[in-house]
Amino acid sequence: MLKPVASNNPFADPLRFDRRVPECALVIFGANGDLTKRKLLPALYRLAYERRLPDSFAIVGNSRTEMTDEVFREKMHESVKQFLEDSPFDEDLWNNFARNIFYIAGDLNDPKLYSDLKAKLDELNRPNVLYYLSTQPSYYGPVVEAIGAAGMGRSTEKGWHRVVIEKPFGHDLESARALNARVHSVFPEEAVYRIDHYLGKETVQNIIAFRFGNGIFEPLWNRRYVNHVQITAAESIGVEGRGAYYQEAGALRDMIQNHLLQVMATVAMEPPAAFEPDAMRDERAKLLRSVKIMKPEEVHLYSVAGQYRGFREEKGVDSQSQTNTFAAATFFVDNWRWAGVPFYIRSGKKMPKRTTDIAIQFNSAPHTLFTSEDGRPPRPNLLILRIQPEEGISLRFLSKYPGAGMRLRPVSMDFNYGSSFGERSPSAYETLLMDVMIGDATLYTRQDMVEASWKAVTPILDDWTTRSFDFPNYDPGTWGPAESDAMLARNGHKWRNG
Amino acid sequence: MVATLEPEKILKDLRNLWSELGRGAEVTGGVLRACGMTLVVAAESGDDTEELRRTLGVLMHDHPARAIVLRLQEKPGLDANVFSQCWMPFGKHQQICAEGIEITAGSMELAHVAQLLLPLIVSDLPAVLWCRGPRVFSGDVFAPLLPLVQKMIVDSGTAADPQAAIAVIRDLHRQGRLVADLAWTKLTGLRELMASLFDERSAVGIKSVKILYGGDVASPSSIYFSAWMERALPGAQVTLNRGDEGLRGLRSIVLSGEGCEVTITRPDKTTLEVHCGGRIRRSTTMLLAEEVLMGEELSILGADPVFDKVLA
Repeated sequence: MLKPVASNNPFADPLRFDRRVPECALVIFGANGDLTKRKLLPALYRLAYERRLPDSFAIVGNSRTEMTDEVFREKMHESVKQFLEDSPFDEDLWNNFARNIFYIAGDLNDPKLYSDLKAKLDELNRPNVLYYLSTQPSYYGPVVEAIGAAGMGRSTEKGWHRVVIEKPFGHDLESARALNARVHSVFPEEAVYRIDHYLGKETVQNIIAFRFGNGIFEPLWNRRYVNHVQITAAESIGVEGRGAYYQEAGALRDMIQNHLLQVMATVAMEPPAAFEPDAMRDERAKLLRSVKIMKPEEVHLYSVAGQYRGFREEKGVDSQSQTNTFAAATFFVDNWRWAGVPFYIRSGKKMPKRTTDIAIQFNSAPHTLFTSEDGRPPRPNLLILRIQPEEGISLRFLSKYPGAGMRLRPVSMDFNYGSSFGERSPSAYETLLMDVMIGDATLYTRQDMVEASWKAVTPILDDWTTRSFDFPNYDPGTWGPAESDAMLARNGHKWRNG
Repeated sequence: MVATLEPEKILKDLRNLWSELGRGAEVTGGVLRACGMTLVVAAESGDDTEELRRTLGVLMHDHPARAIVLRLQEKPGLDANVFSQCWMPFGKHQQICAEGIEITAGSMELAHVAQLLLPLIVSDLPAVLWCRGPRVFSGDVFAPLLPLVQKMIVDSGTAADPQAAIAVIRDLHRQGRLVADLAWTKLTGLRELMASLFDERSAVGIKSVKILYGGDVASPSSIYFSAWMERALPGAQVTLNRGDEGLRGLRSIVLSGEGCEVTITRPDKTTLEVHCGGRIRRSTTMLLAEEVLMGEELSILGADPVFDKVLA
């Protein structure tokens, strides 16, 4: 394990360079894929730009395609230039950074790949090694086992060996447990970092700051004051060439089981005793374990599947596909804080706009003195945590319309990230890559969290896999099927389609 | 007769500026008003206006602020105008703008500037004073401004006499002021490199630290580095001496003791060569621009315990 820098290093300055990456090599399996090009390399370059990586930081990419180190560097050079967000590109810095980028071609099923890799790592002689599985999920188990068989899995006296596993971690509860057993046969839990990039987003992390850093919100954060919570992750695009993958996953598995349930856990968890990895993850896990498991007869009431018109015509998609491109569910949390408060979660493709937000609707004032302009009772207060785009927080409340009479109108008090902190926040991958290299697992999911979130969606998955849906059931550019609105209407609620 | 300015008039000009910006942006995605603090910049009459504007423009991207540029001049008079710094974040449709006020003040009017600034500082947000030139080291000219701000940033590298400049900074620190020095900020990269060498290695056995500097006198950074080593290694003998002619500033650092020998040399302006544990490592250090150094200091608005110890 990496020793905390500040503990016994007399030169430590936690204020200015606490989170320093030790000498290490990062091995990326699936280095020719989109994730590496679009997210990982730009994030690593940006960390180098910020002087967060040591000069000796090395990257070893792997995929099946034969190419030299030089060709791989050139490909990554182009990718970083193309996908670097909000940042200048510095050619000199790149040249320095790229000196330590290497490439090994090889099939993931071929033991020779791992002996070649071992030889390369021995040659590089970095004390710490991070393996990043950016491959198809079916390779996670075999790659980890092959790393173990080649004797490259266990941390040594010299340094740590860790593994980052991309989602999906299993395709149901049983497969998640099976995969976990395979991973644990090589890496101990403290060396396993299951990445959920939503948790790395600044705005998701800000939920924690907002809730536990301020004194005024937490007293209201419970069933006495909160009427219901809506979590929406909408995309305006379709499957964009990922039809074959998406057909196997669907919105429920792709978004709700992992990202959105983790976001819900962050919104609803109890305050941790300390801002430390296990304290945070314990609370998230506790919340996820408190999610009420639907009974089979409740699934129809509390979940809605949808598919947009045109999905079946996408490349790689079955013409009779039953895959959900939209999923919505109502979850309840069985604890004292949240008993009876519905958490509505939805995610879909081909929606009117790209947006991810959390809307917390408070109860109406207990006695209504005023009506709104349309004669109806005034709308209740709404707190909106905007994850993307236009990251920020808004509080809707009523205000007197200027002029004679007491006319009330909802107004919004807005906090926008850019207005206080300028334009740039680190990307989720910058945050998460930095975290894994310094050994901070706070924003990574633990096995018990993964299992709890699979348990929460299992009744829905069980029901949906045995049903034949009358798909497609929503038009592109709409907020999903009508049943989704009906699900909320049964409780007297309405989606906030802002 | 001392000239005066009405702060209300300046605030009104700012409101008008935002109205103008809003009108100009009607056809685009609008304007986002950004402000996370007040940054008072005390600029000297000889400072390059364009260069300062550019520096502030870059700084605003990560530290949006109401910038109040206080330009000191010899001739009497007091004048003010407002300006904005706008930029379009990559891939966005909405401009972000920060506002600024430029006040030109003669030496006679300087005493009145504090009164003028008080209502111009944004309420409930941090306020920082950046003294860009050496004037701060030659008298207490900025004393009236200090109660208005939480932090003061100076650059002893601009002073003719580094020892005297550091004495002024130490004095401010003793008075309880939060004060930062860009000459110290410049050391972050080197200090981080030094720290990285001892992440996995004990520094307990180090008995001697020999620091050499180039140039006629020790630069403020060399003095700070030496003081930092003394605080970090109280059991070691730390010496700071003049080295070869040539490159100014820190030239080499040699740490030695039981089973430990670390040498860091600076063969040229941008290279650091580290000899440690039988290995030789070369690092490239970037010459950090003023806005980068300022950006680092504006990220720290509270106490800086390590620098505090160096100043103590």
